[in-house]
Amino acid sequence: MEIDVKKEGQAVIIALTGRMDAVSAPQFDKTVDDFIEQGETRILIDFKTLEYISSAGLQSILALAKRLELINGTVLLSDLNGAVKEVFEISGFSSIFPIYDNLDAATASI
Amino acid sequence: MPAKMNNLGNFIQSLSRWLKQQGMASEQIPRVQLAVEEALVNIIRYAYEGQAGDIELRCGIADDQRFVIEILDSGVPFDVCTLPKPDIQCSIKERKIGGLGVFFIQRMVDELLYRREGDKNVLTMFISRNDGRFSRSSSNQDMHAGA
Repeated sequence: MEIDVKKEGQAVIIALTGRMDAVSAPQFDKTVDDFIEQGETRILIDFKTLEYISSAGLQSILALAKRLELINGTVLLSDLNGAVKEVFEISGFSSIFPIYDNLDAATASI
Repeated sequence: MPAKMNNLGNFIQSLSRWLKQQGMASEQIPRVQLAVEEALVNIIRYAYEGQAGDIELRCGIADDQRFVIEILDSGVPFDVCTLPKPDIQCSIKERKIGGLGVFFIQRMVDELLYRREGDKNVLTMFISRNDGRFSRSSSNQDMHAGA
């Protein structure tokens, strides 16, 4: 999995590419841990080029959301498609996370 | 192959190559990858309780409609068919971390069977070649879980 990060206004935008599985999810955890330690509280995850996610990936996203909730932060998700979207739907994650159709819509709401 | 996390990619790649060669619909392949990854990760994390051990992955053709995948390990007995479903309705705060892996295995395959064969766990998954739907009813799953 590739992780590209940029800061835009108040938010950190994390774009994921490839496969978020039990091997690559810890890499994501490390990235978001570093940002939270630096004081970031608004995180937007762009799934446009993520092809695959397993429960390990979902657990990382949930753990991030739980941490941000404790510090009044927020996590927004954008552009889920294909297998990733299906996994969010069947796990019920679609209904507990704010999900936007595209990055622009997500960025506008921050 | 040894039950190590750094072999996960090798297992999944070999499986995917085989499924593709057999003509499985491309949108169906990630679902099979998901079921198999979740089963493998459970074995890698828990089956051998910190000791070294192996995993064997077998793929075959069950009949005209279905593939069969068997995953074998020699770890502690563990029947994924008997685990309860997680609560998928609750909020971020209430939602538990974990428990989803087995749920995905149960949801992604048409039929799931577990048996203990000597000192081995054998998990058998039947998967249809082209079915792209997540429409299997919970009653169906329960029936298989009891089998």
